[in-house]
Amino acid sequence: MGTEPKRILIVDDEVGFTEMVKLNLEDTGRFFVRIENDPTQAFETALGYRPHLILLDIIMPEMEGPDVLVKLRNNEQTAKIPIIFLTATVRKSEVYEERGFISGYPFLAKPCTVLELITAIDQNI
Amino acid sequence: MNNELKKTLQVLIVENSDVDRAVLINMLSKAPYGSFQISATDSLQETFQLLKQTPVDIVLLDLNIKDSNGIDTLKRLHTRHPDLAVVVNTGEYQDDLGLKAVTMGAQDYLIKGMYKSYGLVKSLYYAIERKKAEAELRKALEELKEMQAHLIRAEKMNVVGGVASGIAHEVKNPLATILYGVEYLNTVLTDGDEKIALTLRSMKDAAHKANSIIKDLLDFASLSDIKKEFYPIEKPIEQGLILTHHQCEKSQIKVIKQYATNLPDLFIDKNRIEQVMVDLILNAIAVMKNGGTLTVRTVRKNFERSDIHSASNLMDTVAIGEDVLIVDFEDSGNGISDEFLEKIFDPFFTTHRAAGGVGLGLSIARTIMDSHEGMIDLCNKDDQKGARARLIFKVKGM
Repeated sequence: MGTEPKRILIVDDEVGFTEMVKLNLEDTGRFFVRIENDPTQAFETALGYRPHLILLDIIMPEMEGPDVLVKLRNNEQTAKIPIIFLTATVRKSEVYEERGFISGYPFLAKPCTVLELITAIDQNI
Repeated sequence: MNNELKKTLQVLIVENSDVDRAVLINMLSKAPYGSFQISATDSLQETFQLLKQTPVDIVLLDLNIKDSNGIDTLKRLHTRHPDLAVVVNTGEYQDDLGLKAVTMGAQDYLIKGMYKSYGLVKSLYYAIERKKAEAELRKALEELKEMQAHLIRAEKMNVVGGVASGIAHEVKNPLATILYGVEYLNTVLTDGDEKIALTLRSMKDAAHKANSIIKDLLDFASLSDIKKEFYPIEKPIEQGLILTHHQCEKSQIKVIKQYATNLPDLFIDKNRIEQVMVDLILNAIAVMKNGGTLTVRTVRKNFERSDIHSASNLMDTVAIGEDVLIVDFEDSGNGISDEFLEKIFDPFFTTHRAAGGVGLGLSIARTIMDSHEGMIDLCNKDDQKGARARLIFKVKGM
């Protein structure tokens, strides 16, 4: 490919999971991953890091995924960053039924394989 | 005059004495009301034959006859023909015999010489009415029992549903972490370390198994969400067979397809019905570990009571004579014991827990069929070894 690695921001309160995502994605040499485990800081982190794509959990304490999304969409510097919801609240069958999109946003159901995650990132970046 | 009294009663007199028989026939022919078609015999053996050949409304039964004596005569008749109205007519008077006869299935008890024509006829008509009321009562009781079982099932499912959605999120996150950890270790693992590779494979399998249990629970919790469209039934069957192809091959199971042609599309949720198909096929595979034959059949017909075996389907909505489409899965395993058949649709009942079964598959399948106003029935095959799972879909009005 020969292109610069893409910057990915993962917003999820599950510390262990985010670290595993970072390990696996960076291991491919195609991505840099920034972890944000505190959803209330997600907008500021995105503003500073300027990711090519954000992986966003839905159910998080203090601030839920959709609220983070609204904040990102309301600022023109972050409004156009592609987002993939990565969540345990939907089942894989539901993702397939909706062809990977629910309410207009791409979804991935946890647990998905690293390959499925990378494919989804490539399709949306 | 009451309509019931206008009807000619088919009376079978089972009587040892020629004289007593003649007296009874005479009494009925001179009866103040009612009309009677009479047949008569002096043995239980012939009674059984006559009952096979001609319709009989009521039997007037002497307890001491050629080939049977005492209360045993009634017992034998009632065991073979539980739905038949019987009036015991005997010369043997004992205080408790009448009560015993009634508790053992007779509708009335007459003592020879103690009644006249009017009393006899009244006893016959009343006995028939009592028998009808008894049958209705029994039917109502069966329905009540089924209703109760249904409510218990529904309550169990409600509880499971609530718990499932709650824990799914909490369990899936750590599972995802474990799986990603295993995937990463796999990529950095140097070739040749078989022990580590085996450990990682086992961890991965265990995490996938845990995930599939969570998936079952979530499926269970979301059963109210049904999306129906008109769809050919062969497609979910075929999809089910494709998804289970690997397991079929592994267990050396031969699949025989007997599909009827020109079947109408059914109004179904194709994903849910596919889930039912997969579940039934996997159950069949589980009982044929050493190989066997799975026959999948579709047929369109008018529904008959004999199309289902399970009494627990009494409450279901498919009417006799209704246009239905039947899907059968027949295995060549060892069949299901009666004890298991009773519980097989209960949530968390499984015969293969050791192999990873949670016991939700058939309750999910049943709930899905309920939401399609269809039926699911399990039984052992009449003529040969193995069990049969049957799905019944209404063709019209779905």
